[in-house]
Formats: sequence, structure tokens, C-alpha cells
Amino acid sequence: MFGGMSIQRQRKLVIFSFITVPLLLLLTFAYYPALELIRLSFTDWDGISADKSFIGWANYKEVFSNPDIFGVFKNNVAYFVVGLVQNVVAIYFAVVLNGKLKGKNAFRLLLFLPYILNGVAVAYLFGYVYDTTNGSLNLMLGQLGFDKLAGTSWLGQSTIVDYSLASISFWRFMGFNMVIYLAALQSIPSDLYEAASIDGANGWQKFAYITLPNIYKIIELNLFLTVTGALEVFDLPFVLTKGGPAGASETFVLQIVETAFQFNNYGLASAMSVVLLVFVIIVLSIQRYLLKGKGE
Amino acid sequence: MKKTISALVSVFVMLTVLAACSSGTDSNNGNAGNSSDATATSEASATPAAEGGDSAITGEVVYLTNRTDMIDKEYVDYEKRFEAKYPDVDLKFEAITDYDKTLKIRMASGEFPDVVLLPTIPNNELPDYFAPLDDIKFSGDIYFKELKAHEGSMYGVSSGGSSVGIVYNKKAFEKAGITDIPKTYEEFLAAAQKLKDAGIVPLASNFKDKWPLDAWLYDVPTLVGAASDHQNKRAESDAPYTMDNAYGKSWSILRELNEKGFLEKDINSTNWEQSKKDVATGKFGMYLLGNWVINQIVENGAASEDIGFFPFPVDNSGQAKAPLNPDWFYGVNKDGNVEAAKAFVQWMIEESGFEEFAGFIPTLKDRQPKLPQLAEFNSFNPTYFEPAPPVDAATQIQNKAQLDQGAALQEFVLSKDPQKVLDKINESWAKAKKDLGL
Repeated sequence: MFGGMSIQRQRKLVIFSFITVPLLLLLTFAYYPALELIRLSFTDWDGISADKSFIGWANYKEVFSNPDIFGVFKNNVAYFVVGLVQNVVAIYFAVVLNGKLKGKNAFRLLLFLPYILNGVAVAYLFGYVYDTTNGSLNLMLGQLGFDKLAGTSWLGQSTIVDYSLASISFWRFMGFNMVIYLAALQSIPSDLYEAASIDGANGWQKFAYITLPNIYKIIELNLFLTVTGALEVFDLPFVLTKGGPAGASETFVLQIVETAFQFNNYGLASAMSVVLLVFVIIVLSIQRYLLKGKGE
Repeated sequence: MKKTISALVSVFVMLTVLAACSSGTDSNNGNAGNSSDATATSEASATPAAEGGDSAITGEVVYLTNRTDMIDKEYVDYEKRFEAKYPDVDLKFEAITDYDKTLKIRMASGEFPDVVLLPTIPNNELPDYFAPLDDIKFSGDIYFKELKAHEGSMYGVSSGGSSVGIVYNKKAFEKAGITDIPKTYEEFLAAAQKLKDAGIVPLASNFKDKWPLDAWLYDVPTLVGAASDHQNKRAESDAPYTMDNAYGKSWSILRELNEKGFLEKDINSTNWEQSKKDVATGKFGMYLLGNWVINQIVENGAASEDIGFFPFPVDNSGQAKAPLNPDWFYGVNKDGNVEAAKAFVQWMIEESGFEEFAGFIPTLKDRQPKLPQLAEFNSFNPTYFEPAPPVDAATQIQNKAQLDQGAALQEFVLSKDPQKVLDKINESWAKAKKDLGL
């Protein structure tokens, strides 16, 4: 059936037929909903009624004029700060576990395991860890003799609640970051290190001048994941604190969900989602601009 | 040659995948066709019902329930008994979780089961989806007739009612040396103090989880103001939350209890599941919740006779007051198998025994509740307050102002300056009210 076709045409046919299906799936489940989201953000839809009246930019005005909506981004900062620490620790462990170490596969496995657990299950589990009166964390602190710390309300103080929550995602995602770094480290040819050793470079110099430049692209990728992760935190505060105490752990996505499903304001919630989308793009552009060219 | 084969194979794969897609759509269409056929037939069968009577109670009835726990258990028995009474009906149960949200999505798609529990939509939208139920002839007068009604027609029948009061562990009261059930607020505080002195947490608030505070938003203000329409009344005011009205007074009670140490040690770290066990074992003394919680405490290990229930004394008048709240309302899909669905709703209210199983106050006014704790509760002769039909204006303003009353109450209790919290929510209330032009 292909007898009459040139190789060129056959190539095109194959490429086209292979691309069609994923493209169709992508269009149906990613781009169509995204366009629909943008359309809804200009309406005052309440989530159920058939009429969606067009109200122009009113939703966007509301997003930017209501300090309650935008103010919650300060709570996301905690996740970003902890995310940076998480990346540093992940690189550290990756370097250590890439060297000659007894039982390194066991350690890798141990550090990676939390990532396999389901996010909501992890959140639920940490509810017991952080419990003030019966929690295992306070129990351990008490056993170790830190009597003052043992009564800490980890999720009940507005100053530390975000860091308590961010520590959970640290525990959960550090192993994942580490595995990505490990893969990058293993792709660095070992003769570079050997040559450096012959030239008399010490461990730190090897890390700073060989390892870091070689995994620059991967650091960028991990930072990308950290930034989007920090902007999109939802499950931890949703399960553990519901945004409390008094709104101290409210995040932007949590607020979007409340706007849509509690206050039945799907139009405004869509506008908030679009704003979040734009926000992620802006932050990433800044990040790319700052890191530009370094990895080449 | 090799390339031709691989091209052939790939095209074949693609075609089969695509073909699968299209056959998928086909079968979907087929389904849609079938089900619209089904609605057509049921409509056809519903028409003679208007003239004929019981003979038209035939066909399939699907009840969408939120009680996932009763599937394959009690519902098997329900189906047997209902189909024995109406042999021509095929009754089916479908259970879903996250009921309200899921049902709304299915309603928006245009097709949903014959009998459902009414979702939270404004009453004026009820006629768009549901059939009026006024022609069901119940054996007696029923509660909550006016609540899900629009322009004189009733669209929902409550599956049962419940009250809110103090659920307490009798053993814990005994241990603390409390002999008389408190009838005034002063006595209540004294009892709480005794519990605290005995090393028992007096009142489990489950503050962190927010939803257990609902009683302080809806029920306690009803008792404080001796009127159940306080949520509606908010629409008439620019400052509905003040220190000296029902809300300020109710919320101040919770604040006072917290300040006196009568709630959990750290109210920001409470655990709902654990609290049930703790009330069951007497580590916690009381709950301020609906009677539905009683069965759950018993499930967690308490002997039923050790758990009691009395009206919450909000003031020092000594007069017992209690709210009477509806549970979910049954509604009938107006495009479904209406006659058979109505028969099912009537059967659920009159014969199923569901209200006894669920521990509800029966919807039929002349039927006495079976739960012993409700009998104890009624022995205090409380004045019951039935809820007022909701007014959309108040809900609209609340949604526009994005006011989460539970969160506001939490802030009120935790804040150093509660007046400021009230000022803040009043301000956003007034703004939303103005924006909506109400």
C-alpha cells in the first residue's frame, strides 16, 4: 500500500500518525479546559445555572483590588524558602551517595521512599506527628529533655504554621530532588575528576568547578519544580489546617478552591487561576533570565 | 522494505487506536440514545399516572444516596421490602461521596437519578430540576414543609430531623461529682469547672476542624436570640455582627469557655476522630453537637446508657430551648420516573425505618424518636425552633463578601481584640451588600 510513496511521504505519514493521538489527548484534556477556564474567568458563573453572563474584566479587577486575595502569597514564601534549603540538602546527599559508600543503595532508597507515599496520606499522618498533646514530635522532644519545646503548638501558631507545613513537603520531596541530581551526577565523565585530581584540585574545588557547572541545567529544572510547587501548595493546608489559625496558612490555590466550591463564584475562581498561571510564567521567566547562559 | 513494514505497522496501530476512539464515541452516543429513550418511556408511563393512580408505579427508580456504608447491607433489605410492595418497580441504589459537589456537576450535565438528596442551590432554581411533591399523601403532618419550597410548591421532604445540645458522658459527670444537669449558664460553667478540676477536658470543641463550630454559627445564635431567622436578618443590616446581638453573644460564650480553659488544651490542634474515642472513654466530658454524634460515640466504645443529651443552657433564664434542624431533603428529578420516585420517597419516610437507623427525629410529627437520648432530651421540655426558609439575599451577600463564618469565629476566639474581627467582617459585608445593590 506504500509502494507508490516516496520515502519522504512515508516519513511524514508516520510522523503525523504518531503525533495525532497524543496531540488529541493534549488538546482535549489540557488546552481545551485551559481555554474554557479563560472564558469562564470573564463570566459570573455560579457553577450550576445555565446562564453564564459576560461581565468583562470585573473578576480581574476584584482579584487585584482585594488585598485578602493577593495577600496570601506571603504564606507561600515559606514553602519557597524551605524549597531552597531542600535543594541544597538534596545536592549534598546526591554528592555523598554518588561516592564510594557502603550501603549507598539502601540510603538512596530510604531517602526516596517518602516520595512514593500519597500526598493526602502524608498530610493525614503528619496530623498525628504535629498534634500538641498526643503528637509523636512533642513526645520525642519531651523524652529528649526539651520540656519547653514539648508543648509547642506546631500548627496552631501563625508564625510557624507555614514552616511546619513546608517541612512536610521537604521530607516528602527531598528524595525526589536527590534522585534527579544523582542521575545528573552519574552522567559527568569521571576522567574530568581524575584530571583535576592530577592537577591537585581538592574536593571543594572539584565540586565548584566540575560538578556544579555540569548539573546547572538540572538545578534549573529542580528550581522550576520548587517554584511551581511553592506557588501551588494545596493538599497540606487543606487536610491539616483548612487555612487556619485565622488564615495564617491559607494559600492561593486553597483560596481558589474555596471561592469556587464554597462561595459558588466560579467566575472569580477562574480569574484567580488565570492570574496564578500568568504569575508562574512571570516568575519562571525571571528565573530563566537570571540563570541564562550559565549552563552552556 | 523494513521501513514500509514499520510504516504499515504504525499506521495500523494508529488506525486501531483511532478506531477505538470513534467506536467509543459511538457507544457513548448509543448510551445517550438509550437513556433518553428510557426517559421518554418513563415520561410516557408518567403521563397516565396523572389520570390513573397507583397502577403507573412501574419501571426503574434509582436513588442516589450519600450513605456509602449502607450499600450491600441495609439497602438490600430496603430493596426487597420496597419491591414487595411495588412489584413492578426495579429499585436501584447508587452511592457517591462528596455528594453535594458531585450531584451539582451531574445536574449541570442534564442527567441525574430519579431520587436524590437536594443539593445546596437557591430555592428559586428548584423547579428547574425537581418535581413538586405536594401530592404525596403522608399519614400525618410533616416537619420542614416550607424549607425547600418555591411559590407554594414543596420540592423536598426532609429525611429526618436532629437537634443540637450538649452530648455528655455520664460517667465523666459522675466522676466530677456533678449530680444535677445544668439548667442555666451559671450552672453550666460550674459543672465545667468541676470537670476541669477532675482532670477531664470539659467541652470538646474540635475547633481546628472548623465544621464542628457550625453549632455556634447557626444554633447557639438561634437560642440566644430565641429566633431562627437570624441568618436571613443579616441581609437587612450593614453590620450584622455586633457584640450585643445574637452572634456577638454566642461567639463570646465560646471565647469565654476557651479563656477559662474549658476547651481542649490546644484548640488549634484538635483531632475529630480521636475526640470521639475520648468522649467515649470519659477523657472529654461534653460535645456541643447534633444528636447524630451519639451513635458515633457508641460506635467508638461507649455504652449507650452512659451517653446523655440535654439542651444547652445559653442564658440564666432556666428555660430549655433547642433548635430542630432538617437533615438532607429527598428530591425527585422532574425528568425521571416521577410517580415511582414519589412512592419511594413516601416509603422512605413512612416505612423504611431509616430515621431510626440514622438516629433522627422522625419527619412525621406524631412519631416519637426511638433514640433513648432524644427521649431524655425531650424530658427537659425544650421549646423547639424550626429553621426559617432561607432567603437568597443573605447567602448572596455572604458569597459575594467571601465570608467564611467558621473562619471568622475562629479568628474571633483567637484574636486579642474580637471587636476588630467583627468590624472587619461587617465592613466586607457592607461593601458586598452595596456592590450587589441590595
